[in-house]
Amino acid sequence: MSTLVTRNHAIIEAWVNNGARVLDLGCGDGTLLDTLIRHKKVNGLGVEIDQDKIISCLKKGICVHQTDIDQGLSNLDDMSFDYVVLNATLQAIHKPYKVMDEMLRVGRFAIISISNFGYVHNRMHVLTHGQVSEHIRFTGDWHDTPVIRFVSITEFMRSLNDMGIAMMDARYFLPFGRIFIHPPFKDLLVKEALFRLSRG
Amino acid sequence: MERTLTRTEILHIDRPFKLDCGETLPEMDIAYELYGTPSNDNVILIEHALSGDAHAAFYHSDEDKPGWWDAMIGPGKAFDTDRYCIVCSNVLGGCKGTTGPASINPATGKPYGLDFPPISIRDMVDVQRTLLSHLGIESLKCIAGGSMGGMQAMQFFCDYSKLCASFICIASALKHSAQQIAFNEVGRRAIMADPRWNEGRYYEKVSPEAGLSVARMIGHITYMSENLMQEKFGRSRKDRHTSNIFRPTFEIEHYLDYQGIAFVKRFDANSYLYITNAIDNFDLITSISSSGRTRGVGRGRGDIRDLRPKKGLVITFTSDWLYPPSQGREIVKIFNALNVQTSYTQINTEHGHDAFLTDVGTQTEIVRGFLASM
Repeated sequence: MSTLVTRNHAIIEAWVNNGARVLDLGCGDGTLLDTLIRHKKVNGLGVEIDQDKIISCLKKGICVHQTDIDQGLSNLDDMSFDYVVLNATLQAIHKPYKVMDEMLRVGRFAIISISNFGYVHNRMHVLTHGQVSEHIRFTGDWHDTPVIRFVSITEFMRSLNDMGIAMMDARYFLPFGRIFIHPPFKDLLVKEALFRLSRG
Repeated sequence: MERTLTRTEILHIDRPFKLDCGETLPEMDIAYELYGTPSNDNVILIEHALSGDAHAAFYHSDEDKPGWWDAMIGPGKAFDTDRYCIVCSNVLGGCKGTTGPASINPATGKPYGLDFPPISIRDMVDVQRTLLSHLGIESLKCIAGGSMGGMQAMQFFCDYSKLCASFICIASALKHSAQQIAFNEVGRRAIMADPRWNEGRYYEKVSPEAGLSVARMIGHITYMSENLMQEKFGRSRKDRHTSNIFRPTFEIEHYLDYQGIAFVKRFDANSYLYITNAIDNFDLITSISSSGRTRGVGRGRGDIRDLRPKKGLVITFTSDWLYPPSQGREIVKIFNALNVQTSYTQINTEHGHDAFLTDVGTQTEIVRGFLASM
């Protein structure tokens, strides 16, 4: 998941327009926003729950709100952002549908990354070990990992369909650092994926 | 450790000062303290709360205890006096050197009492603007305060936006809720119900100590969280065996009694009435959107569009039920709508509203981080 975080930054940077308004949900220490502010002159806002990470953001001069994403984004107005980023955070969210709805309420585009539970390695790990791989679990043991949602590419696509969300762009990460736009056997071969979404 | 000494200076303004209510003060004193040497980009204006004063940090030569925010202001502290120049002044209507109801009315030669005109938070910041001009300060790196100090910080930041690069608002609100007004009103009624108050004319006699101390006791209840009060005092008692059954016996009763008595020694009852009235009437959104905001000659109230490249920081405390985190988030929402890059953080603490004075650890890191980025 940590490789997903940083590698995605380059792709997100390419997707985001100069001077855009960007909201980063679960912005951590503000690395992505810092990059986007320096390279793309974006107007950035971070949302983070961890106090130490908030302080890191403030030190970088990044505007940040200490908020639990699961509580909604009620403090933010409709369409007040061009891009709302949820990078490597979806799987830690209790109410993903609510959060995705909120993302597309406050922003024109949502950028969401997921780790594919259907990836062949993950399937094999369950088969051979009888438990979820550390790659999926990210950190911690079963009881204290932040990752509480396991989703496959197919399931995620179905959710988008159910919610009436359109996929504008996608990047699929396969083993050995290969990145595809239209990969074969998505559900089996894709480790992680990054989507740019909008409301229909 | 060697104590750094400071003293409160008085600036006398010998010309009329027009107030929000339309009335005019013929002359005025402004009490202030200044730590450091002002330059173009190092001045931070500190705003005090209801019972505070100009003495924010360090020691007066006759004191054992330092200024009210000494834990946050000083070398290496949140507001680092090695890097920044700090100014703090007593508010208009106060009783610690700045003109207030206890000051002498030049028209009568006696204390103003209730002849003192009603004052507003905006008047308080206008006075501070005057002070800054006299000190030759024409730009502020930041303006910061907690509780009523936070209200002043926001008002100053909006009224004189050309002067300020940023604001920090701690445990405060855009306007008082019904509950907040209610608590203040009970405090005021306690003072006015004291026969010694005598319609505000008590300066030659005994002041309404009983009423003022009850007002302060109510205040202290609201400054503490329920958990902290329980943990600190619980149901423990002292002096259980007393002839008068209504003498304080519980520890909490003694604590409030002590706070009440300590307060009447240092605070004026009429100031309490005037300042709490100013707090209750404060309504930032109405005040910055009303046509009156540019009233007055040479006041230089800024255009609201000037707020754009500026920054704000709002801090709340989880157990603060007097100024709850929800009110802090309202502040953030408004300033973001005004295009001020406003950050929000909520400190986890059991210390209630008083946390802005006591919980300096995390607050220090947050404030230092914020100031360092500018």
